[in-house]
Amino acid sequence: MAEQTSLQERPSAHRRRPAPRPSRGPNDIYVNTKTDFRAQLSRCRRLLESGSQKELRVHGLGLAIGRAINLALQLQLAMPETLLSASTSTVELTDDLEAEGGEDAEAGTRNRNNSAIHIRVYRPHEE
Amino acid sequence: MSTAKEKKYAKRMRNQPSNVSLDQSDDHPRHGGRGSFQSYGDSNPGSSGQQQRGFHQSRFHSRGGRGRGPPSESQPVPKFLTVTKFAQARAAEINAMVKAASQKSSNSLVFQSLPRHMRRRAMGHNIKRLPRRLREIAKKEMEKTVHQKKEQSKSKSRKARRRHGNLQLEFNRRQRKNIWLETHIWHAKRFHMLKKWGYCLADRPTMKSYRACYRAMSNHCLLQDMSYYCCVELLGKEEDLFEALSRLCSIDTGPTFKAAPCISGKRQGSLVLYKADKYPEEALGHVTFIWKPRSVSDTACNKRQLWIWMHPAFKADVLKELRLVCVCEERPDNFVCVSEPAPPPPPTEEPPASVTGAGRKRKLKSKGEKAVPVKKIIGDGTRAVPDPYYWTSTQTGITIRDLTMEIVRYRLVGPMSNCVLGDALHVAPLHEETEAPGPHSWWADYCKDPDKVLRHNNQESLFKILKGLESAAQIPSGTVLGLTVGDPRLNLPDKRTKSFPNVESYEDRDKVKSVTQAGVPVECTESLIWSSDVRSHVLDNKISEQEFNRLRSELLIPGTKLDLHNSESKIPVLLIQQPGKVTGKDRPGWGSGWDICLPKGWGMAFWIPLIFRGVRVGGLQQRLQHFQYMGAPNVPGDFPDTPAGVQSAQETKAQLLEKYTRRPPAKRTNFIKHGVLSPFHCPWDQLTREWELRPSVGLEFPKVQLKVDNLEIKEEPADSPADEEMSMESSAVTEEKTVLEDIEGRKDFSVLRNKKILQNFSALVAPVSHGRKGPSDRSQQLSHLVGSVLRDFPRSLVWVRLSMLAKGSPELHALICSPSEQDLLHLQQDKSFPGPLEPKHGDRFKKQVLKFKKDKKKAKKNKDAAKNDGLEDASCNDDLTLGLWPSPLPEVTSHCSRTLLGYVTQGDFSLAMGYGDALGFVSFTGLAHMLTDQPQDKTGLVLVRNLTSLQYRFAKLTIEV
Repeated sequence: MAEQTSLQERPSAHRRRPAPRPSRGPNDIYVNTKTDFRAQLSRCRRLLESGSQKELRVHGLGLAIGRAINLALQLQLAMPETLLSASTSTVELTDDLEAEGGEDAEAGTRNRNNSAIHIRVYRPHEE
Repeated sequence: MSTAKEKKYAKRMRNQPSNVSLDQSDDHPRHGGRGSFQSYGDSNPGSSGQQQRGFHQSRFHSRGGRGRGPPSESQPVPKFLTVTKFAQARAAEINAMVKAASQKSSNSLVFQSLPRHMRRRAMGHNIKRLPRRLREIAKKEMEKTVHQKKEQSKSKSRKARRRHGNLQLEFNRRQRKNIWLETHIWHAKRFHMLKKWGYCLADRPTMKSYRACYRAMSNHCLLQDMSYYCCVELLGKEEDLFEALSRLCSIDTGPTFKAAPCISGKRQGSLVLYKADKYPEEALGHVTFIWKPRSVSDTACNKRQLWIWMHPAFKADVLKELRLVCVCEERPDNFVCVSEPAPPPPPTEEPPASVTGAGRKRKLKSKGEKAVPVKKIIGDGTRAVPDPYYWTSTQTGITIRDLTMEIVRYRLVGPMSNCVLGDALHVAPLHEETEAPGPHSWWADYCKDPDKVLRHNNQESLFKILKGLESAAQIPSGTVLGLTVGDPRLNLPDKRTKSFPNVESYEDRDKVKSVTQAGVPVECTESLIWSSDVRSHVLDNKISEQEFNRLRSELLIPGTKLDLHNSESKIPVLLIQQPGKVTGKDRPGWGSGWDICLPKGWGMAFWIPLIFRGVRVGGLQQRLQHFQYMGAPNVPGDFPDTPAGVQSAQETKAQLLEKYTRRPPAKRTNFIKHGVLSPFHCPWDQLTREWELRPSVGLEFPKVQLKVDNLEIKEEPADSPADEEMSMESSAVTEEKTVLEDIEGRKDFSVLRNKKILQNFSALVAPVSHGRKGPSDRSQQLSHLVGSVLRDFPRSLVWVRLSMLAKGSPELHALICSPSEQDLLHLQQDKSFPGPLEPKHGDRFKKQVLKFKKDKKKAKKNKDAAKNDGLEDASCNDDLTLGLWPSPLPEVTSHCSRTLLGYVTQGDFSLAMGYGDALGFVSFTGLAHMLTDQPQDKTGLVLVRNLTSLQYRFAKLTIEV
């Protein structure tokens, strides 16, 4: 879709800023659509199995939501003792608009909203 | 006698005296000598006799000039013998022997000539360990060596040499040619240093950290010292400045100096400068600039201040052109004061680089420690000593000032750079009225004005918000934030720690949002670093490291924070956001970070606190890596149309050639056989010229072009001498044509930087999947665009990015070629098809080179031959090197089986992408040809071939604007 708009509406060319990643711990997994799925899965499994992390937080934004869910379910399949708890949120994204009409105009920004999912994959506490 | 034997004898006789007396006294005929020899041999058989024989033989030989057999065979025995003569001859020989025994001809020491069983430990030091007869000689030798040693040794003891003043003198001497940055000593201990652009710069860490530096860039923070970048200050009326500067740039290439966000001082701008009124030809270099925000005092006279930052390679050209457009005279204002060093320079405009070695030297002077004479260095790496740094125009009133080395600039790259800055710096406390005023009068004045205090508080709150950002890419690109910070050495942690974002600072989401949306308000971009008075004041009142440590040691409770109150230094700084990767779709904002500008002299005081926050430090190599992964042009290698770019290309060429010729010929790549014409440089001129002259330029070219390509493909693989001759002929023809062209006036290539054209073109290069757009629309667009461009810029290069489809990592100067139809078909059928192979070329110069070498050898042996035919050869084959094509290159585009489009200028395996990635230039005409030929779903596919390989590999070409 982005390509189409950029072709048709040349003047309103925009540049996306990277999506915010509020927490960057070693157990925060931001799922994207480019990385190989198996690689992502094996990375998560390694983290969980090593025992260094008690829980993983899998984040997916927009198109990657499906992948994030898939990843969490696959993890649970591989390790049946883990539990999942999902929450959704709305993430505010910013685009830089390129200035129209010469140099006097201020380049503006535009806000969009996109939905995101955050899945907690954890082992229940042993009682 | 055979020559081998002769040599053997000569070797044996080397240490024997050349017994001249014998010859002179020996006036009787030759047979007498022979007779004497005979009898001697008879009387004294044994080893000494053998030597004597040899001696005689060599003598005979040298006298007669012709060889003889051993004397014993078939020599007539003399009938009689004169006793006196015989005795005389023997006496002379004995004399010679005695002389030889007493004299030492080899240059070994006495104790070294002793037989092994007579050697003793430490003989070289203690003469008494030698046999008594040798002691005299050994004593002499020892005295000699002691004498020599004394001459070589340094005049001062190590302790004296390391004394502060002497050390400073030594440092000054060592940076006379290449200036050191303030962090030089820190870097020199940890980095491989390079001498480049008049500076000593860190290239790469000595520790193994290529990948670690990449991780720092993408996950934490990488720090680089960018102080070698040159800053030029322009001061004048706004309209005058616009008028002058608009001649140097064009709006086509993007926002210029006039762009609204930049002119207010909120953002940093960047653009490419051209020679005055010469756009699109004759580019000068890439610069970034910041305007000083309008303040109340300035608005009255409407004066504006502009800083232009550039790479030192571009500085000379850009400065010259700036002076031209600002009508600044050749004779600068400070000419007089520089030519006579005796009068001190006026206080307002202090020679900027006079204290290049930073505050320490200055400190010494101001304290009045005249006992240590520390000489100052005037000038910097990019400017000779008597060169001016300050020009004023009488017509326009514009002042140009060279601020090189006046401002320290550090670059922090990576998502945690906010966090590192937030931890390392603390905003300066306000001046306390109650106490005794400290040395910082400017800060006291500043704090008296309530408006300024308010501004300071705003800046402080903004700086705190920055800590809450996840990465620098969250805020508008090029945002400038002015700040006044306290001494960063005060809150230095005990140990090196790694900063991580503080979760609490995320609470104020609304404020963060306002910053990400609108950026920093204009009034908060104001900083006192713009004023040279404040800069010099801050430098003068710096507490030295020694003093600082003393104060810290006097604390009652060790380890607590030092509180200096009003005497704490306040340093005005400027933070400039770097947007990171802005082109392309993937990894937006990668490599974003902050630049921090400090007044000079404060470099190390800020460097160490940053290091203590767990950053990794990189050099030029890491800079290159950063630029490549960001897809940004590297300076000056990616500006082939600028004078600095041409020069750097020449340097690279010389360097690579030297490295190549150091290897033995059999162990080098034979580039002729690989079909590589110019392995060490890119002949852009020839490339663009050839593409312009190709017969099928025009709007109806697709069909013609196909024919040409097919013909070539048929021709080339059969690599026979006849073919080569043909190609040589054709190249000669093209050269004739080009000579004509040159006379017409168009002789140079240019890099296409018109943003609109590039944007349109990049949309066409991207492959179109099925059912998106009508094919007719696309080809129409293409032909329209190409036609217009070819009319305006027939010889232009386009900067492109290449990402490998499967295997391979492109290297510097790799060839970018257009694939043939068969290649694309093959790829469609077989997804794992690696790419076509280049047939091996014949090296028809090999014989010439070998012959030339032989001739040279011969010429060395007998000089007559050299004069006759060696000279001729030398004149025509002067630059023949095995494996390299001699200088008039044949047609570069059609030399190989695939048509050449361009060359790679930066290429490596990209750790960020996970596959080979390269940046390079292609001929615009060539690219247009290729695009018209290619099917819709395969557009933008090219072949890349490394210089050392015959394998072409597929890569995807994109134009990122």
